[in-house]
Amino acid sequence: MSVKTLDAIIEGRRSQPQQLIEVLQDVQDTWGYVPQESMITISRELGVPLIEVYRVASFYKAFSLVPRGEHVITVCMGTACHVRGAAPIVEQVAAMLDVEPGGTTGDGLFTLESVNCLGACALGPVVVLDGVYYDHMTPRKLSRLIESIRKSGNEDTRDA
Amino acid sequence: MHKLAAIEELEDLRTSLAAARDGAGTTITVCGGPGCQASGCRAVIDALRSELSREDLADTVQVRVTGCHGFCEQGPIMVIDPGNIFYCHLKPADVPEIVSSTLFDGELIERLLYTDPASGSKLQTEAEIPFYRLQDRTLLALNRQVDSSSITDYIAVGGYSALAKALREYGPEEVIGEIARSGLRGRGGGGFPTGRKWASCRAAAGDEKYVICNADEGDPGAFMDRGVLEGNPHLVLEGMLIGAWAIGARQGYIYVRNEYPLAVTHARAAVEQAREFGLLGDNILGSDLCFDVDVARGGGAFVCGESTALMASLEGKVGEPRPKDVHTVEEGLWNKPTALNNVETWANIPLIVRNGAAWFSEKGTKGSKGTKIFALTGRVKNTGLVEVAMGTPLRTIIFDIGGGPSDGAAIKAVQTGGPSGGCLPVDKFDLAVDFDELAEAGSMVGSGGMVVMDERTCMVDVARYFLAFLQDESCGKCVPCRVGINRMLEIVTDITEGRGRPEQLDLLQELGETIRETALCALGKTAPNPVLSTLQYFRDEYEAHISEGRCPAGVCRALIECVIDEEACIGCGACLRACPHAAIHGEKKQPHTVDLDACRRCGICVDECSQGAIALK
Amino acid sequence: MEQYVTLTIDGATVRAPKGRSVLDVALEYGICIPHLCHVPNLSDFGACRLCIVERVENGRSKVTTSCTLLVQDDMVIRTNTEKIRKLRRNIAELLVAEAPNSRAVQDIAVRCGVTKVRYPFRNKNCTLCGRCVRVCAEMWGARAIGFVGRGKERHVDFPFGVRPDFCKECNSCIQLCPMTITPCDGPMAPGEERLCGKCAAQLMVTEKIPDTCVLCDLGNGFNCARHV
Repeated sequence: MSVKTLDAIIEGRRSQPQQLIEVLQDVQDTWGYVPQESMITISRELGVPLIEVYRVASFYKAFSLVPRGEHVITVCMGTACHVRGAAPIVEQVAAMLDVEPGGTTGDGLFTLESVNCLGACALGPVVVLDGVYYDHMTPRKLSRLIESIRKSGNEDTRDA
Repeated sequence: MHKLAAIEELEDLRTSLAAARDGAGTTITVCGGPGCQASGCRAVIDALRSELSREDLADTVQVRVTGCHGFCEQGPIMVIDPGNIFYCHLKPADVPEIVSSTLFDGELIERLLYTDPASGSKLQTEAEIPFYRLQDRTLLALNRQVDSSSITDYIAVGGYSALAKALREYGPEEVIGEIARSGLRGRGGGGFPTGRKWASCRAAAGDEKYVICNADEGDPGAFMDRGVLEGNPHLVLEGMLIGAWAIGARQGYIYVRNEYPLAVTHARAAVEQAREFGLLGDNILGSDLCFDVDVARGGGAFVCGESTALMASLEGKVGEPRPKDVHTVEEGLWNKPTALNNVETWANIPLIVRNGAAWFSEKGTKGSKGTKIFALTGRVKNTGLVEVAMGTPLRTIIFDIGGGPSDGAAIKAVQTGGPSGGCLPVDKFDLAVDFDELAEAGSMVGSGGMVVMDERTCMVDVARYFLAFLQDESCGKCVPCRVGINRMLEIVTDITEGRGRPEQLDLLQELGETIRETALCALGKTAPNPVLSTLQYFRDEYEAHISEGRCPAGVCRALIECVIDEEACIGCGACLRACPHAAIHGEKKQPHTVDLDACRRCGICVDECSQGAIALK
Repeated sequence: MEQYVTLTIDGATVRAPKGRSVLDVALEYGICIPHLCHVPNLSDFGACRLCIVERVENGRSKVTTSCTLLVQDDMVIRTNTEKIRKLRRNIAELLVAEAPNSRAVQDIAVRCGVTKVRYPFRNKNCTLCGRCVRVCAEMWGARAIGFVGRGKERHVDFPFGVRPDFCKECNSCIQLCPMTITPCDGPMAPGEERLCGKCAAQLMVTEKIPDTCVLCDLGNGFNCARHV
């Protein structure tokens, strides 16, 4: 973890406890998780007790305290998606990748997460894979997408 | 662009922009709303821009990317003017033909036109589409007209004229009076009279006051606020400016949930533009109003939609609500007087100021005025954003505008108000969307989520779903919510898995009522609603699970089986190969069978079968 | 010069300094309102919900926690209505089902009239009352422990799960913890959790006469007028 980059994130926010969440978000965006050392630095520089930094990082879903996989699969579990069958999608992928929702595969390739509604409800079930939104998802479509990533290391086209 | 230093400068700018807009030749409006984003509008827009460029039309044909039009099920969509031609279900590959046939030759492309489900014929223009015609699209129509990243577009159609009117003609108290007379009630779910909230905030002691726009929109199934904030962020800003003027606030915040990165981007861009034009900052339009706005991102916590939790989050802390013995209008953000309102509430403000309180209060019912945007989703044909006058019956929204069942299965219930709301059965569909009417029936208008459910939805499973959601999102501070919801979930899960006992229904009722009375915040207090409303209206489903071990809708895994119809099965083995749990066995050309112990009821085989020989029941 | 207000609690007129909570005032006057997360001289945050009372205003009554409610002139408070007793009993039932392995929690359950527990017992070693967190932060300023996680994952922990060197090892957290007060028969074995209420004899008494003082250990701590 680059000390310089963390410095840049904290710059302009020293001794401003109210900036804690924004700082953690920048850290999460940069490294894909919030490293322990970064929390110690943030505590010192922003003037927030260490236990509070840890508390905030553990409270909000946006932050991960452990490194995540190369490809993040986010399945929307909102009501509309649920009614259209989101649960089987999560179960299917969890079984396929042998991870619990929230977990990362042993090879570090995939992280499976669920989110409580992305706001694209009319077109559910919705799955986001590496920032790209897919609508009207089914377990079969998602399996195929994951397979194609495994094989080529890239994503299949949107017509999967 | 230099700052507008006076109202006259704004009006001059508007006049010239409006003239340019009227004089523009062909305009193609493409919807860039949440639904269309998910169905691929970006690629269509890129294809359109590059094709226009290729054909040397980039200067003569204007492309306007707007916020959500509401017709999400049909997306990606575009409207071509003049002519009001409506094309839907677009793909990038359609673009060259659109340019050559429609733009150059003036011909319509049949397959891209909308098919009216009632008549079966193709409709040519947007104006004819029943989905739109049956609505009262006061706010959504603005989405339609404005490029979501352009302040000049907004000014051209009258943007910021309400602010100018408020500054020129009304003092702060008069503005509050106008809002109060309009009867506007909060659109975030609380339904609190906005005028009264502003009056209390203005009257509260202290010079440092805040206004906050709550764009945390956590209700699963709701995306109205996303549609408005992403589509027309300046409308929201203008509302906040008027509110700040009324209350005496100098700083405002738009708090956007973390899961809406596009809304954050659009809001931040709008704030930057407003600052450039002098519509945020000091002495706005030459008046005494000094006001600025910051956009803050949530951290991924539904509870931060609760006002005290949201304020804690703005202060950099965990989103734990605090007791509301003292109201936030007196002690809110940083313990200062704060007026927090929902996105849609703020969006209504400029229109009320521009058109007058009477214009707003003419629509709606005695207790609920104006229009409301609903996110109509679930098992209905026309899913998307729907705007209707308060007082419209549920039946009209679901069957007439929504087009009725999506799949043949009969509609059974509608869930309104998100996890704080309740499920209402079909025989209650004559009820109107009205704060008090729906609350009396055991549900609520809520923020506007409206999920339609049919006979393949298990209402016990729906209750379980909401409990699981709330358990996940509970902050965990107080016993009734943290432990109570968990115990309710334990019981309902028992019921869905065939272990239910009759006395548990009474326990659910009693525990639900206890949580309602004793939880610390509204999340906890309203958490039992989905359970209590389904117990009230769908008790028979609970009882079937308990006494017969049967799930009438065929959903609850432990109570259904995956069955292959021997007669229909052709033994092709497609299901066997597709099954991820190796639960299907059979010889080629022989009927296959399912090993129920290995089967996980995932439904993949049902999808694979070309004969429709497999069913989950 | 302290300012005083006059309010009514359970029909009795009470004079109290402004800025005090209804709970503090009631306890001083010997009115026992059951509570768990309240500790004298530490902040109140209304987590356990046991101290709920009814506040009557404009003909309507609102259920609210007395620890977070500050006294005001002409306030009308009722601490022991049938509605409050039922709600309190249900909350205490939830608590004892979570943490039966504590004399303090068992006492509270019996005091609140719990006679049967309708949920499967769990043996959590924490009630999340936050007494430890608050004493560490407010009395010592150490902040070596805190609440971590959300919802049912909420628990008390050191930063990163490791005791930091700024923990003063004062043991205040342990001394205030309701879980460290064990029943006289010793800890219950897993699977054998039950409502014991100090002992079965106590349960028999409170069944017949609800609101009987059970001389609970918490009462000893706040010098309840009944616990002499």
